[in-house]
Amino acid sequence: MFSESESQAILARALEAANADESDAALISIDQNISRFANSNLHQNMSEISAGLTLRVIVNGSMGVASTSSFDSEEIARTAELAREAAKHSDPLQNFSGLYKDHEPLPQLATFDQQTASMSPAEKAHDLKVMFERGREAGVQFAGAYLSASTSVATANSHGVNRYAQLTFSDATVIALRDGSSGYATRCARRAREVDILSLGEEATQKATLALGHNEELEPGAFDVILEPPALAEVFEWLNMIAFTGQAYEDGSSFLVDNIGRQLAGGNITIADDATDPDFLPFPFDLEGLPKRRVPMIENGIVRGPVLDKAWADRLSMQPTANAWHLGSPEHGSAFHIDVAGADATREELIASTKLGIWVTRFNYVNGLLEPKTALMTGTTRDGTFLIRDGEVVARLPNLRWTQSLVEALGQVEGLTKERRRVATWFNMFGGTIAPTVKVRGWNFTGKQTEHT
Amino acid sequence: MKPTRAQFEHALKSLRNPALRYADIRWTATHQQHVRVRNGEVDALTSTVDRAIGVRVLVGNGWGFAATSHVSEEAIQQTAQRALEVAAASHIASSGSVVLSDIEPHVATWASAFEIDPWSIALEKKIEHLLAATEPMRGDRRVHQVSGDLSCYRQEKVFASTVGSYIEQTTTEMGGGIEAAALEGGEFQRRTYPNPFGGDYQAAGWEFIERLDLPKKAPLIRDEAIALLSAPKAPAGRFDLIVGSSQLALQVHESCGHPTELDRAMGLEISLAGGSFMQPEMLGHFRYGSELVDIVADATIPGSIGSFAYDDDGVPAQRFHLIDKGMFVDYLTGRDTAPAIGRKSNGTVRAESAARIPIIRMTNINLEPGTTPLEEMIADTKHGIYVETNKSWSIDDLRLNFQFGCEVAYEIENGKLGRLLRNPVYTGITPEFWRSCDAVGDRASWQIWGLPNCGKGDPLQTMRVAHGAPAARFRNVEMA
Repeated sequence: MFSESESQAILARALEAANADESDAALISIDQNISRFANSNLHQNMSEISAGLTLRVIVNGSMGVASTSSFDSEEIARTAELAREAAKHSDPLQNFSGLYKDHEPLPQLATFDQQTASMSPAEKAHDLKVMFERGREAGVQFAGAYLSASTSVATANSHGVNRYAQLTFSDATVIALRDGSSGYATRCARRAREVDILSLGEEATQKATLALGHNEELEPGAFDVILEPPALAEVFEWLNMIAFTGQAYEDGSSFLVDNIGRQLAGGNITIADDATDPDFLPFPFDLEGLPKRRVPMIENGIVRGPVLDKAWADRLSMQPTANAWHLGSPEHGSAFHIDVAGADATREELIASTKLGIWVTRFNYVNGLLEPKTALMTGTTRDGTFLIRDGEVVARLPNLRWTQSLVEALGQVEGLTKERRRVATWFNMFGGTIAPTVKVRGWNFTGKQTEHT
Repeated sequence: MKPTRAQFEHALKSLRNPALRYADIRWTATHQQHVRVRNGEVDALTSTVDRAIGVRVLVGNGWGFAATSHVSEEAIQQTAQRALEVAAASHIASSGSVVLSDIEPHVATWASAFEIDPWSIALEKKIEHLLAATEPMRGDRRVHQVSGDLSCYRQEKVFASTVGSYIEQTTTEMGGGIEAAALEGGEFQRRTYPNPFGGDYQAAGWEFIERLDLPKKAPLIRDEAIALLSAPKAPAGRFDLIVGSSQLALQVHESCGHPTELDRAMGLEISLAGGSFMQPEMLGHFRYGSELVDIVADATIPGSIGSFAYDDDGVPAQRFHLIDKGMFVDYLTGRDTAPAIGRKSNGTVRAESAARIPIIRMTNINLEPGTTPLEEMIADTKHGIYVETNKSWSIDDLRLNFQFGCEVAYEIENGKLGRLLRNPVYTGITPEFWRSCDAVGDRASWQIWGLPNCGKGDPLQTMRVAHGAPAARFRNVEMA
């Protein structure tokens, strides 16, 4: 992981080589260990040290971007030449007022934990060995992944903006398997001590053995559903891609378009991008150097707007929201810290209030491209799908397919828990989703996983 | 930048551990360039170069892998030592025994063929080509956005192992496509050519882009995007379904390619991507599809992005059946998984780059052409639906229950293509679907499609794979 002085030296050389009207550069270095296990056996164990530099230049109002993983002067000069060449052949950015210049102070956030940064593969292996032994006693086998990482993020631009932060991240996922049933548990945090793999093993085991031997089937139809945070995280990641990004808003495919200020969801729904919450996965700035702040996309059911990088904010005559996570990204702003507000219920209360419904641990392979204007999505359930009858969990259900408009569903949320959980995402190390467990009326289940014949 | 053979061999020799059973070192340099135009202007123009070194060791029964983007002799040595440390940690929580299938040492150099180097074409020409291809789609108020993409990819790779192999491979690829998005009222429709998500990809040069003839296809794409706005919704119910080549390629990918990955079947990928309904005890006697269904894995097809000369275990590229006349006969395997089913590796282990651990990946997984011309298939269908070009995809964790949405559909009545239909969605259970196949298109409708974005592994690896498929007909399929 690069220190602040090492990062600034590389960025300074990149900005000097840029030779452009304006330029900015981002340098990210990662030191991560990930241990993957299956059949209660550690089968893939990896350690990675890597770094990447992205340089963006503005020439005559046009933008060009190039990146490299080598930082010698010759390679940086070649990268700068590629970026200038790209800018030369690009059109001027519409209504662009220039790169960020304001030097605003950053929120003070604790993003780094030394114990997490120094966690070794051997420490994880010892934890896993204990979990595997407990699993054998409980008659379950475990699969999953256990990661710890430390990262340096630095960004600078030709207006003298200079940002640097170190962050740590720990993430574990555990699936327990027994007699054809499975259960799932996951945690992520800036501090590894908040990710207790043994507790996750117990939680996954409880899910795998809950109502074991009591199997029922349901014909497709609309059912009240209790969705746990990992299930919500997957659909909200898709909502980000198809509705919240600057690009989805600008090209008209987002359901936010023409709806800003309108009540589109229930009054109990607030979805924001918030990297400043110390209980989430905090981070102080985006890669354009803007200070992170809380940005509501939907507030008490009312549409507030998309997340935007600087270029697309100017283009749309809106305010940038500090959501540029790649310089020159085609998303033009992406919500990497999806914060779904909770309420005052407990999961047990949500279950107890359900006459006939389905409790879902997580989803599998969601796709949100069916009809973006209504956020029509499809996916299946996995690793713990349960039937609720008269307020009690009475049976395990097979994995089910669902096809549901999220715009419709956000208007049918009947209850939210106070407790919220962080869920990591596979596509970035900065953030993820923090969400409560929710109860939604009339979720459309359209099929089921059928055993082969 | 590229380490010498002596440096590779020195690093392998530096791995001093009496329990070391195997080690390999890979170096990759991955060059990518992407040009995108949108609504008559350049929207994105990016270049990336990533270099990495990866060292994999097997010590006793513990695997260790370490990687770095710092490519220097000192970094290689440090990375090799880190791999040993990681392997030692694996020992703590590893209970199984690792058996590797036999392999011969290979010393070879290979490069995919191209006529015109993608990097020899000036950026200006690439932009002009895309602007010319997208301009015919503009002008109608309902066409809100037109775009075009060109992607150039080259990966240089060196592999050296303690078996004695030293293999250098270079793959050069080009991809491209166009898209029209139409918007009116609350309706939003996209139409793409030749495929969505950046188009089609081949291991080829600029000549591939010229063959696509994007400008010629543009008016048709525009017209269909507009027509979709007012087209009737594809009906729900059960229909005889003819699936066009590019959509069937993705069907093969999701419902045959992934479930025949042996690591998935063994539960090794269960935490992220899931498992497989196709279990080893089913090999040789499970009817996956009708007798018309032959699916092969073939990493030797020239010009396809799923081809190579050696996989990242150093095993030569191969062609073999996964599904033979409808029967499940083989898996995609690697050296450390094939022995579990009593076989030798069939050479399908690859990594995105040297920064990632090699895992089983699809190569070119192809539904072999049949004998029925597409026109005859349509003429022989009394009441059905024809679907083409993928729009959405979803399948469960065992690869049984799938649902696909397509960009377009046409109704078929009394053997003739009828009205255009919007938002078609079909769903089914994998073996039931493939067993219902009663016509497979001939060579004329067969085409190989490059998919550069197959995700698997943790950390996620994006792999370049391909699928050949003709059109084919499936009876009594559920449309949602």
